[in-house]
Formats: sequence, C-alpha cells, structure tokens
Amino acid sequence: MEKKKNPIIFSSYEPRKGLFDEVFNENGSAKSIYKTLFDLYGGHSVNDYEILNSKAKASFFNQGITFQVYNDEQAQEKIFPFDLFPRIIHPLEWEIIEKGAIQRSRALNLFLWDIYHDKKVIKDKVVPLDLLSSSENYLHQMMHLDPPGKIYNHISGTDIIKHADGQYYVLEDNIRCPSGVSYVICNRTALKRALFGVFNHYQAHTVTNYAENLLQILETVKPRGVDNPNCVVITPGRFNSAYYEHSYLAKAMGVELVEGQDLFVENDFVYMKTINGPERVDVVYRRIDDAFIDPLEFRPDSALGVPGLFAAYRKGNVCLANAPGTGVADDKAVYTYMPEIIKYYLDEEPILNNVHTYRCSRPDELKYVLENIDKLVIKPVDEAGGYGISIGNQLTKSEIEKVKVTIKEHPRKYIAQPILSLSVHPTYIEDMGSFEQRHVDLRTFTLLGKDRDFVLKGGLTRVALRKGNLIVNSSQGGGSKDTWVLKTE
Amino acid sequence: MEHLYQIVYSAKNCYEEVVKEAIWQFQILPLENESQHIVKWSFQNSLHTPYHVSINGLGFITIRLHPKHCFSEIEFKFECELVKKELNPFDFLPNLEPQDDYGKIASLAFKADNEIYLRRTPLSSLPSVHQSIFIFDTSQSIFQNLRDLNHWVYNHLHFTVGVTDVTTPLKDIIEQRQGVCQDFTHLFCAIAKENGIPSRYVSGYIHQGNNYFGDLQMHAWAEALVPNVGWVGFDPTNDILVAQNHIKVCHGKDYNDCSPLRGVVYSNGANETEYFVQVQSSQLQQ
Repeated sequence: MEKKKNPIIFSSYEPRKGLFDEVFNENGSAKSIYKTLFDLYGGHSVNDYEILNSKAKASFFNQGITFQVYNDEQAQEKIFPFDLFPRIIHPLEWEIIEKGAIQRSRALNLFLWDIYHDKKVIKDKVVPLDLLSSSENYLHQMMHLDPPGKIYNHISGTDIIKHADGQYYVLEDNIRCPSGVSYVICNRTALKRALFGVFNHYQAHTVTNYAENLLQILETVKPRGVDNPNCVVITPGRFNSAYYEHSYLAKAMGVELVEGQDLFVENDFVYMKTINGPERVDVVYRRIDDAFIDPLEFRPDSALGVPGLFAAYRKGNVCLANAPGTGVADDKAVYTYMPEIIKYYLDEEPILNNVHTYRCSRPDELKYVLENIDKLVIKPVDEAGGYGISIGNQLTKSEIEKVKVTIKEHPRKYIAQPILSLSVHPTYIEDMGSFEQRHVDLRTFTLLGKDRDFVLKGGLTRVALRKGNLIVNSSQGGGSKDTWVLKTE
Repeated sequence: MEHLYQIVYSAKNCYEEVVKEAIWQFQILPLENESQHIVKWSFQNSLHTPYHVSINGLGFITIRLHPKHCFSEIEFKFECELVKKELNPFDFLPNLEPQDDYGKIASLAFKADNEIYLRRTPLSSLPSVHQSIFIFDTSQSIFQNLRDLNHWVYNHLHFTVGVTDVTTPLKDIIEQRQGVCQDFTHLFCAIAKENGIPSRYVSGYIHQGNNYFGDLQMHAWAEALVPNVGWVGFDPTNDILVAQNHIKVCHGKDYNDCSPLRGVVYSNGANETEYFVQVQSSQLQQ
C-alpha cells in the first residue's frame, strides 16, 4: 500500500514497439541528452507532480491563455493543455531545421513573386497551371503588384515531424496567419514558474525574443518615405480562436491592437482613430483572412476589415503582412511541389524532407489512393486546423466508401499521404497519474523581411493527447510542451 | 469622325433609419484609352462631402465618398463629357490560317498569361449539363466563331427586365431564356471560356440613340481575346460588335469585379436605392 501511495511517475511508462521514442532507448534507458532531465523529473512523487501540474494549469487560466474551438456547440474558452516535461532538440539537429525552414520560406516567397508576375514556373512546366486557376486564394488584385521589400510571407509556420526513421519531415507550410507562437513563450514562462531548477542544468535558447524580431522584420518592409513606421496588429476580435495571441503579440511588440473599425482610409492612407485624432499607420500585421480585409475590394459583407485598405496597399502607402494572396502557396497541393520549387528558384537540394504525397487530381495517383485508402491519410488541400482529415486505418468500411465518394467528386480538393508514424514523447496523463507515450510534432516560426530573416530557436511541440491519435492541432484536442533548443557547448 | 458624349449618372439612396457612417465606392468613370478621351467630369452629392479618387485592385479609377455626419437620404450626380473616336470593328487583318490561332490558344504560355480571363467564376461558368451548348467550329476563324456566338446568345435569351438579378445562376438564365445585359454577357463569356478563349465582362455606357437595349442603366458587354488581334468587344444584348456607341468604364472576370457601386453602410432597417443613366451625343466636326 505504501508503495502505491507514492509511485514514481515514470514507473508505468510502457514503450510500444515500432514507435520512435525521443526520450528513451529501446532498452529503456534515457537517451544521453535527456539523462539529467529524466533524473530530475523521475524523483517526483505522483502527488508532488500533481501539485506542480495544477499550478501550471492555474497559471495559464490566470494569464487568460485560452482558445476557442469551432464546430463546438458549447463554444467556450478552453486552456491549451500544457505538459511539464519539455522536449529537447540537439543543436546539430536544430541547425538543419533552421536552415531548412529559411530555405522553404525563401523559396515560397520567390514562388509567390513569380506567380504574381511572369509565371515562369508554370511556363517551364515545373508546377501545373491548374494549381493557380483552381485556387480561390490566387488573387488577381495582386498581379504585377510589388509588395514592399518584395516580401509576401513575412511570417511562416512550418510543421515538422520526426518519423520512425529518426528523420525530420515537413508536413505543411502555414503562410496565411500561422498561430501558436504565443504558446511557445507562455509555455516557457509556465515551466520556469513551476520548475525553475531544471533550467540550471540545461542551456536552452531564449524564445522571448520573438516579438522584438517580428517588429524589426515588419519595420524592414515599411512604405517608402517613412522613417519610423507605425505598426499595428489587426484582429477579427475577441471571438476569434487566436485572440489571445493577437493581444499578446501587440503587447509584446509595444504596438496597438486594433479591429477594423479602429482604422479608416482617407486619400489612400491608413489612419488609426485615437483620442488625439487620426494617427497614420504604416505596417499592418493582419490576422484577418484575405477575403475579409477590405469590403470594397473583397467580400462586400465583411464587417471585420477596413474599407479602402487594399487600394492604400496597392499604392504603397501601407504594408500588409502577410501579403494578400499569399494563401495560394499555403495549399497542400503546392506543398507536394516544394522539392521542385526549391530546386527551381534556389538551385539547391531541399534541406528538409517532404512527405511523399499523392495528388488526387492526377488520374493514376487517384487510382492508387482509392485502392489504398486504409494505408493513407486523406487531407483536404485548403483546410487548416486539422479539419476534414481522414486517417485510413481508423475508418470503418462504410466510412471508407464515403470518403471515396467525396474524393471522386472533388479530386482536386484532396491529397493523400502515407500514414506517418510521428515520434512519441513521454506526456503526463492526468487520468492515469503517470507518463505515457504520446505523438508529437513541431511548429517552427520563420520570419522573412527585406535583407533579414529570423527563425525562432524553439517552437511549439504539439501533443496528440488522445492515446494513439495522430492529429495534434489544438482545435482537435491537442496539448503542447515547452521546446528547448540547446546552445552549442 | 469623333463624337462628343455627355453622360449623367445619378442616384438616390433613402434609408429607413439614420445612417451613422457610410463609405461608397463608385466605378463609373469612363476609361481613358486610344478611342476614349475625357474632356471633363464632376461628381456631386447632396451632403456636399468631398470625394477621393482611388484605384481599385484591377487597376480602374474609383470615386470614393465617406460622409462624416448622420443622414437618412443622399443623392449623387456624376457628369462626364467625353470624346469618342469612331471605330471600325473590322479594322484588322483576320488570320487566314485559323489553325494557327487554335494552336496558340492551346499553348501553355497563352493559358498562363490569360489565366484570369479563362478562370471560371460562379457567375461565368457553364453548368455541367450545358457544357456543350455551343461548340466552336474550328474550321472557321476564332473571330467568326465569336460573332456566331454573339448572335447565338442574342437569339437564345430574350431581353426581359425583372426576371433575374446579379445572383441568378447561369443555369437558370439558360433555361429561362430571359435576362438583362449582365446575363447576356455572362453567358457569352462562359461559352467563350469553355472554348478556350479568354473573355471578360465590361461595364460601361451605351448611347441609346439607335434603339439599342441598355437605356437608363449601365450597360454590360464582353471582350474576347482574339490571337494576333487583341481584345475585341462583343455586345450580345444587341447582336453587334462594340463600336462608337459603347463607352467603356472597366472590365473584370464578371459583374462582381465591375459593380458600379460598392459600399459599406452602418444603418438598420430597409433602404431604397434608385439610379439612372443618360447618354447624349453630338457629332464633332473634324
């Protein structure tokens, strides 16, 4: 009885065969980089650990770090589940990730410039024309328009996983309004509050420098003739699932957080309404989707945007980050061409691996997909947040038939990838009172400015909390971990 | 020969409840090009709010108005004087080898360069059941086929006001066989695109002198890209090629790119909008 009262928190950790465990070797010993950490954590009793865990949770609630889930009838603010056991990335591994992320951002930026100008990549038959003509995010308003500093994707979120072979693979590049960076910083804060001692044993890079770098990047793309640009963050409002992040970033950068109604356009200049009168705005970090940014140019029923914003942008009087129309490259079908796109524009080999992808728009590949659904993950090309994903080996026969029908109706809308085995990381499961293996991925954040770039040394490690689940998105019930990129010794 | 046109566009908006703020954007100023030259124009409104001139995403001039105080009624009046050169729509050398032209429109570079006007939009794409409603005869030139198409659309639809609006799907228009100039134009564009010809929606004014359809409203017609010739205007509502009676304002993929008035009005309750257009002409001595 005595023993059961205070079991060691790792004692019932059961590594499953065939999974890549980032912390433990096959013989059950901790990998060298985790050895100290394992010793530090392993000493806790379940009760002590429970107390730490509930304190960390309370800290999130008190800071108001919550998010909202769509399609949920009882839509309410939830805290993003946080796991106290951090993930460690070796400096040599990180070097590859960082170089690879910048390479992808640069290639995507050149791709966007090209498809909004001469379309050489299409004419040289590297990427099919259909990719543009069937994309709703390909904006004709952006044709032959030169964004300040020639930058489209100022902010990219690249999702990376470690496969069972120990290699990193990129799952997707998010370049519309990637979110999650505020959690990276809050996770670090929460972990420091709960277990500051562990940081004495590891030299991890800071993550709190993200906001200052974001501001500097935004300032590199200021409009012509402006010395000290006035930057703002525009949010759809407090009902948006990422509102916390919008307010965090504005606060951390020391700039105003605005909604559409706080801005107005006159003579093609953008102004903010303040109690001291109008104040000119030069750079807008917009967290509103393209379709909603300007009712005079895009969706006329948008109440979120600023009437006339696009005309001001077109005239070069304001910079929008990310540029409108960037979403055309944030498409899972474009993803499949990334190796070719990198080679075409940079004449380099891709540093990070792409996951092999079957395009349902191609008849031969569609045939393979329909015949092998049980071995594949089916994804819609234009949905974010893990919505609409079907994992073949978890479907019943009738579900498979349904998916087949859907794919056949709109083949261009779907891609398929082999079911990847995401690496696993020990994660504390409250109901069990112990650590268990859970799948994790990593979202990295890359910033691109005029003659300047930055990759946040860290990232959002997302955890699929349900046992065996592979979808890590926060909207699908995922949690997260602090992620340490170690300094080179 | 040159014609002098006087164009008047006037509108009146009434609101059931007081409007606290509104922003309107008019796309009604004729385009300056080799055949159109604006002599002068003016824009007035009953609130005496100053207007701003801007350029929209497709590169056309807009007039924008942002009244700063409350109102429940507003009138706008746009007047424009314009000189138009007489055009001969047949003033080009047709290609004697139509096969070359069909080869060109099938090339990837041509399709990539003209992607915007080959793209199917909800208003300008043929429903699948009517996909082959009009197939080009490739033994004839592209230009001849487009003229036949113009004639075919004119015969297929009957000009009827009030049956359709800007949201009526093309399928209903084809089956009801009724519509106004927007519908004629969308049908023409949809069929031309289906046959691989880039085509675009044009918004503008028509001089009503010759009993053409399109009085008292803004008019719409189509432009199609004929290889080795350029953009040629077709007016399927009147079964004619675009000539000196047509005064172009702007073009786009479909009506949504060209709507004469876009606005954001912060008010509750119903509103009534009416507008009319008048075009007068006189011949200029050379």
